[in-house]
Amino acid sequence: MSDTLLIIASALVQLCIVLIGAPLIAGIIKKVKARMQNRKGAPVLQPYSDLNKLLKKEVILSSSSSWVFRATPYIVFTSILLIALLIPTLIVPVSLHWIGDIITVVYLLALGRFFTALAGLDTASAFGGLGSSREMSIASIIEPAMMLAIVASAVTAGSTDLSVIVSSLVSSPVSLIHPAHMLAFIGLFIVTIAETGRIPVDNPETHLELTMIHEAMILEYSGRYLAFIEWASQMKLFLFLALLSNMFFPVGIATSVTAAALIVGAVSLLAKVVVLAVVVAVIESTNAKLRLFRVPELLMVAFILSLLALILYFIIGG
Amino acid sequence: MVDANTASHLIDIFAATILVTAFLIVSSRSLLFYVRLFALQSLLLGMVALLVVVGYGESHILIAAVLTILIKAIAIPVALNRIIKKIEVQKEIALSINIPLSLLICGALMIVASSVAEPILAAQHQTTQTVSRVLPSSIAMMLIGLFIMMTRKKGVTQIIGLLTMENGLFLSGLAITYGMPLIVEVGIFFDIMVAAMILGVFVFRINQTFETINIDELRSLRH
Amino acid sequence: MNLAIFFLVLGIPLTATICCIFIQRRWVFQATTITATALTAIAACILAVMVFVNTSVSAQGGFFYADALSAYVILIVTGSALVVAIYSVGYLDRQVSDGKIDPKILRLYFVLLNLFHSTMLLVLLSNNLGIMWIGIESTTLATAFLVAFYDRESSLEAAWKYVIISSVGITLALFGIILTYYSGLNAVHTSADALNWTTLMSVAQKLDPSILKLAFVFVLIGFGTKAGLAPMHTWKPDAYAEAPAPVTALMAAGLVNVALYAIIRFYILVNKSVGTTFAPTLLITFGLLSMAVALPFILVQKDVKRLLAYSSVEHVGIIAFALGLGTPLGYFGALLHMLNNAIVKLVMFLAVGNIRIAYNSKIIRRITGAIKIVPASATLLFIGMFALTGWPPFGLFVSELTIATAGFGSGNIFPTVLFLFLVAAVFVGLISYVSEMVFGEPPANARAGEPSVVSIIVLTGLLLISVVLGTAMPGTLFEFLQKIVTVLKG
Repeated sequence: MSDTLLIIASALVQLCIVLIGAPLIAGIIKKVKARMQNRKGAPVLQPYSDLNKLLKKEVILSSSSSWVFRATPYIVFTSILLIALLIPTLIVPVSLHWIGDIITVVYLLALGRFFTALAGLDTASAFGGLGSSREMSIASIIEPAMMLAIVASAVTAGSTDLSVIVSSLVSSPVSLIHPAHMLAFIGLFIVTIAETGRIPVDNPETHLELTMIHEAMILEYSGRYLAFIEWASQMKLFLFLALLSNMFFPVGIATSVTAAALIVGAVSLLAKVVVLAVVVAVIESTNAKLRLFRVPELLMVAFILSLLALILYFIIGG
Repeated sequence: MVDANTASHLIDIFAATILVTAFLIVSSRSLLFYVRLFALQSLLLGMVALLVVVGYGESHILIAAVLTILIKAIAIPVALNRIIKKIEVQKEIALSINIPLSLLICGALMIVASSVAEPILAAQHQTTQTVSRVLPSSIAMMLIGLFIMMTRKKGVTQIIGLLTMENGLFLSGLAITYGMPLIVEVGIFFDIMVAAMILGVFVFRINQTFETINIDELRSLRH
Repeated sequence: MNLAIFFLVLGIPLTATICCIFIQRRWVFQATTITATALTAIAACILAVMVFVNTSVSAQGGFFYADALSAYVILIVTGSALVVAIYSVGYLDRQVSDGKIDPKILRLYFVLLNLFHSTMLLVLLSNNLGIMWIGIESTTLATAFLVAFYDRESSLEAAWKYVIISSVGITLALFGIILTYYSGLNAVHTSADALNWTTLMSVAQKLDPSILKLAFVFVLIGFGTKAGLAPMHTWKPDAYAEAPAPVTALMAAGLVNVALYAIIRFYILVNKSVGTTFAPTLLITFGLLSMAVALPFILVQKDVKRLLAYSSVEHVGIIAFALGLGTPLGYFGALLHMLNNAIVKLVMFLAVGNIRIAYNSKIIRRITGAIKIVPASATLLFIGMFALTGWPPFGLFVSELTIATAGFGSGNIFPTVLFLFLVAAVFVGLISYVSEMVFGEPPANARAGEPSVVSIIVLTGLLLISVVLGTAMPGTLFEFLQKIVTVLKG
């Protein structure tokens, strides 16, 4: 009995951390970008107020939209929550890790993307269709790159279960400086930028027709729908950063459910994710957005780096 | 100073990075970036050679290592930069194969290189051959250098492709034989440097007669 | 004593190179070059005698090495260099007075010519495979500016192609050498010795066959690029067409043989270690391929120097084919062919050089009625064409016949039949071109009169030598060639 309780409790704790931490990270990124542009910028806790505001606002629906439009925010939000249960953030092994592994994560992301694209088309507005088609064409290259990057790391651990991967890395820190590992990190980092729609792939703050991809798909959303979608993308970013930090530098992650370990785990998670967030912000501020047809080139670099990681792993061995 | 184990770890990392620079050269469009990547590549190569010297005690490569850094990482990139600026050529590369496809082909070349390297590595007799793990990467670099030469059309890019091939060759020499006897290495170096100089002069003169260093335009001599 | 002779053969051209850098007066550096090549030729003869007596000569702890094979190729190279040096003086003087060349760069020509000579000799004298490689790469560098000597668009293009393709090939060859060194290290104790050809030959049985096979492939492709084997020959027509005639002649007679020498050294080693089906098959394949590739280009050529360049590709193919046959008779034919080919190429390229000066053009269609303009050169060209295509009584007939006999004798029936077919086809093509050039009416702007009497004398002498080789080979030469065949058998 207490085992089940423990499982549920630790799952809930993980969920809470992700739910609450995500807007904070989004706020930090915005703040750093503002500072680099010599502006004061909105306060770091602004995203919380924004979400709060959106939840209370009225929802306006296009008359030509169907149930897909109304269901998508919930589907996206739920899929992200499920992913949150699978990625080791605070504790490893994650208590519900038997639900699924990396492949499940990729498919959950694909599910969210699929419905968002449909929703973009659903409103019968030109912008939505534009965003959906762009998103899908980029996604067709992101997914192989992501799979390969993660598989390159999975091969070291001999399993696709994320918890097993991270546990094996914790127990043999030598493999952290393996060149294959480092290359997989770079590959996955590029994929992160592409998947979460950051500069240089997509601009999360633009609403210009020429430049938006993700924003175009969710242009018609308002009120609580928009709140859920925004929250979901913030959580996606948080989870990817957590994945990057824990899969490649699993320092300080809790391996047992003791109070001390948990606190250390929470602090280290926060620290690592914040550092990565700052790096993302700096990259966003110092690069220009790529023209759309150049994006496949960048993603192909990520793909090749992951391929290289895989090959190097087999050559150099262990 | 540095023991063999750490040395081989560092060599692995450096060699992987060197290979990454070769891929980045294929993925890039800017001439100046090419030259910078090449300089980085040569610097890392020199450091790998230095690691072999201190980690494995093969002191005869010391001169080759220093020469690599001085000539390939500093002198040649500086000269190339000067040529590029003097020619005032368009800084963009003309490609005959687009970038995603080129990168895929280079990935395939990497696999080819691994299979070529396998029988060579299988014939090892000596015990401390941890550096030889670098051999597939070095052969891949040679193939990628060849690829760059065949598919990029500007004169300067062909020079960089050739020099990348040479870098790969030097690395493979380090990998399986800890470098060749000193006099041979110095001679090879000298030859490469002079070849690069001659090609540089040619690029310059070609530009003055053709107003472009696009090799495609050099078609006047047919069958 | 041994060291002295090596120093002489290598040092004289090197000294000439350095001297020419500092000499200002034209006749002085011209004289220096001619003297240097003459002295080197004499030293080469002495070396040949020493080798004939002692089987092999080496010095400096095995760093320098010469056996019958080296001595033979050295003789060919130094002889060609002497002829070319003498010819260059007259040819270039004429070009300067015609306004084709800036007199200030004349000195550069002679410096580079001497340097070219020295680098070729470096390859032939060293025992160390790495130094051999350095020598071959240096020949590319020395000839780069010679090919681009006329500052024209087409020359620059040809020189660029030449340097790039040669450098790529040479890099691959170096990889092959690294692999050879690698296999040598596993068998030899001192690492410095493992690159010496003699040392490797002595431990050939212990060398890993699969690695050597891979190494040979790389070396064949790499040095084959320098020799002009198809499909790596694409730089040849352009480079030969654009370089000044004497440079082309030296490349066709000297450099080709030097590259073949390097291939042969590896060939002997690989045969001893791996067994005799792998390398020979490769050589026969590349040889026949070169001959086949050269054929259509010879038949539809517009430029006479390119025509001769493709002929060079064909003959290199013949030599490779003969080497690949693997029998003593085949080796004999190959060696004889190297000499005959060198002689005839010298005659052809230099005669064409004379004609070019008279007509100011290389295009066949524009060169007609040569017999009336430059009668001696035209006659030489005409006779030379017979020599080139393998007519008796010239030397090439004998060597091709030997090779064909060897081919049938060794059981390679189909390849030999192919060989004969290709030789015959080329013959037909060349004859029609030459008749066009020699007979008929000359165009108006041709300048009558031989540009250089000295060259006529020299070239006629060469043709006579070819006749001698074709009819009554001196006994000493026969013995010498037999000694080389022994070396080739390993």
